[in-house]
Amino acid sequence: MTPVIEARDLALAFGETPALRGASLSVQAGEVLAIMGPSGSGKSTLLHCLAGILVPDAGEVLFEGQRLDRMSEAQRSALRRDRFGFVFQFGQLVPELTAEENVALPLLLNGVRRGAALAQARPWFARLGLDGLEQRRSGELSGGQAQRVALARGLVARPRLLFADEPTGALDSLTGEQVMELMVASAREQGTTVILVTHEPRVAAYADREAIVRDGQARTLSAGSVAP
Amino acid sequence: MIAFSLRLAVSGGREAVARLLMIAAAVAIGVGLLLSTVSSMNAIDRMNARQVWMNTGAKGATAAAPADPLWWHARMDYYRGESVFRADLAPTGPTSPLPPGLTRFPAPGEYYASPALAKLLRETPAVELGDRFPGRQVGTLGEDALPSPDTLAVVTGRTADEVRAMPRAAGVTSIATTLPTDCEYDCYGAGVHGDALVLVLTVVAAALIFPVLIFIGTATRLSAATREQRYAAMRLVGATPGQVSVISAVESTVAAVVGTVVGFGLYFVLKPLVADVPFTGARFFASDLSLTPTQVAGVVLGVPLAAALAARFALRRVTISPLGVSRRVTPKPPSPWRPAPLVVGLAELGYFVADHPKTTNGQSLAYLSSFVLVMLGLVIAGPWLTLATARAVARRTSRPATLIAMRRLGDDPRAGFRSVAGLVLALFVTTATLGIMSTINVNRGSIDGAPEVRKAVVATPLLGPERPAVLPSVPDGVMARARAVPGFEGMALLHDNPAGIGASQYGRERLVPVLVRCSELAQIPAVGHCAPGAVVAAVDRNGVLDLQAHPDKEWPAAPVSAEEVAALPVFIVYATTDDSQAAKEQLRTLFTEAFPAYLTRMAEDYASEGQKRVQGWRQLANVVLLTTLPVAGCSLAVSVVAGLSDRRRPFAMLRLTGAPLRLLRRVVALESALPLLVVSALAIATGFAAAAMFLKAQMGYDLVSPDLTYYALTGFGLVASLGIIASTLPLLRRITGPEAARNG
Repeated sequence: MTPVIEARDLALAFGETPALRGASLSVQAGEVLAIMGPSGSGKSTLLHCLAGILVPDAGEVLFEGQRLDRMSEAQRSALRRDRFGFVFQFGQLVPELTAEENVALPLLLNGVRRGAALAQARPWFARLGLDGLEQRRSGELSGGQAQRVALARGLVARPRLLFADEPTGALDSLTGEQVMELMVASAREQGTTVILVTHEPRVAAYADREAIVRDGQARTLSAGSVAP
Repeated sequence: MIAFSLRLAVSGGREAVARLLMIAAAVAIGVGLLLSTVSSMNAIDRMNARQVWMNTGAKGATAAAPADPLWWHARMDYYRGESVFRADLAPTGPTSPLPPGLTRFPAPGEYYASPALAKLLRETPAVELGDRFPGRQVGTLGEDALPSPDTLAVVTGRTADEVRAMPRAAGVTSIATTLPTDCEYDCYGAGVHGDALVLVLTVVAAALIFPVLIFIGTATRLSAATREQRYAAMRLVGATPGQVSVISAVESTVAAVVGTVVGFGLYFVLKPLVADVPFTGARFFASDLSLTPTQVAGVVLGVPLAAALAARFALRRVTISPLGVSRRVTPKPPSPWRPAPLVVGLAELGYFVADHPKTTNGQSLAYLSSFVLVMLGLVIAGPWLTLATARAVARRTSRPATLIAMRRLGDDPRAGFRSVAGLVLALFVTTATLGIMSTINVNRGSIDGAPEVRKAVVATPLLGPERPAVLPSVPDGVMARARAVPGFEGMALLHDNPAGIGASQYGRERLVPVLVRCSELAQIPAVGHCAPGAVVAAVDRNGVLDLQAHPDKEWPAAPVSAEEVAALPVFIVYATTDDSQAAKEQLRTLFTEAFPAYLTRMAEDYASEGQKRVQGWRQLANVVLLTTLPVAGCSLAVSVVAGLSDRRRPFAMLRLTGAPLRLLRRVVALESALPLLVVSALAIATGFAAAAMFLKAQMGYDLVSPDLTYYALTGFGLVASLGIIASTLPLLRRITGPEAARNG
């Protein structure tokens, strides 16, 4: 089976500091993959390379067989906008927009008319337990609520791939689990592949498979393996 | 705590010091401009005070004192469109009051000239100027007597009999130290309309100072987001909200104190440059640009205090918890009552269209108070208008950039409007002023009169409480000297008409024409012509002195012979030239010398007097716009940069998720340009509306579009502001790069 996204021998350094040193990874369509590793191991850098946010100094990133690392910034931006979704640890909602508008934003960016975009965004509120919060601003939401709004935003455009970088890092364990359950369930429901970065084994447990990044190199574990 | 905060502010690493310097630099520019503005206002006051003595003899200006009377006669003369103040004096005893600027009275045959006039006298042929002042120059007038280094003034010594014989001469026992209560004829010096002037200067000061204060306020908010993150870290290690407030206030105050000190330095550097700016049409004495102790104290204490309060106020917008700057408290939206003062101000002006005040002072106060109300109204209504526009656009748009920009504006419309408030005021003041000027100019003809009228040199009796003393005749010698002036073209003597031939009744007023021989009227065609076959014409005095030419006007024949007219006293001497300045000034000098009780004028003098004040306001309006413009631009730039820096992370996140950079650029451009353009359009429309109502109410004129200068200045202002916004856009790429999202 052809992987939806694949990294081959990625190397990237920030100045004199190497972040990735020959990291390789492959993710199948519909799979949920957790990238784990200690702080500073390069797991977020690997995710950013896979998402086309950073371009590796060496190696290849293939998305559906296409060399992502050779694309222009504009092409990678278009790809991120049209095919990828993102959920980060915090600070991702535009503070001036309502929750509903935040969710609709990727659709508006893709040229969907306002009415249609909001209509597509609204069902996510019921699905993620956010009923009645549509008109709230990010400052008026709790951390868990804001993260669920961000999740809805990441999935609303039915992306092929959802990248999540420490999506529960700023949440308490109970809220974190709720968010993870919703993320995985929603992604599976619409066939979205998920790559998530975490250092928490409990979060990683929601994944089908885990990859361990240590000293800039990735090692994939088979399903059911327990991270060290 | 304060000591700790001070240490933190100055030893917080390179970034903290850079931030401190940046705020201090912005505050320094603001303080420098503020001090220059305030000292300019003081200089205008002093400029007015320096010319109060020129109103000696005017009603209410001169008190009685136990002294020997001084025979005083003042008049305004002109040279090439410039006013020349002239006082003829004759003391009657040792205690006669000595005017300022003199160490002693000039004896008959002596005069004191201002330095500018003395220079002009040296550089100009005596037949054009110097011969008007009999005798020799014995000294220069001191600065105490001169409003500006460019003032042209002369004090001549005469015998008491000579002065007494002049119309409006007065025996005074003191020199004026207060403004006259009434100006029946001429009041010399721009400071005479006290109340109106104070109000105008207040408006100008507000229009200049307001944007500077906004700029200082904006500057202290620089890097607020970074600072707030730091405060969150302090909360994490146990600092209380109160302590964080103190730290924030101290940081802002330290920067403001440094900025204030540097600002004073900047003021002293700018002082000689500011002195050369002709705020009211004339330069200042550099020594007049000074500050009162209260003003110095106000700035020294006020700016740091305001910075501390601004920092305290800014922290109310965020709740800094130990876990970070977690919640934004959306400010209360501006009340829908905010446009009320603007509407009331415009309604007041509208009311005056139907029923305008009858007295001059009443009119000045009424119109100026309406204009002040409209100006305040614009500033008060601005945030509400910004909110209303932003909400209306946000509700409909499908474009993400427009949505984000409008939501941000709607979230804090006060901040959105604040950065352009200065420009809005400047646009209103300039639009209203230039709208009024242009209409007056169009309705009253060209500022300098019609081309044919500009060639004329006209001598008329000085007005006084009694019937003017007319010339029994014009000596042949004077006629011959006039004809010998190079460039002389023709001359007519318009005679007094004691019998009232051809008089008409205009309401309660009886209009008596002057009489002129048709052979002479033919030499001054701009005034009109005789009926075919007529020998003498009866000409309306106002028709003779009109700035418009009337070559087709046929004056009615007067039933009197040419010989009888020639024997009548001469009321007006009217000469025409080839329009060369030399010819005109030579004729003026000749007439001034030959007819001391007459005033010799040219069309351009009316411009230099009647419309010079209007020109002064126009100049002031331009200065307001040109000064406010860069300040408003700086505020705009600082607030755009501060806004970008505050939203570094959400913007970086948006970019990271694929939002193109041009979308973010559009967001920034829209949220800055929309309030600028919307409120500018409102300011311009309000300016025109206010001008139109004023003109209709006061003069019955319909508003005429201002000239190109207005559109050029306005266009330049808006383009420059948009340019400033555009100049901040390259920052976006840098501050929203992936590393911003990674590092928070």
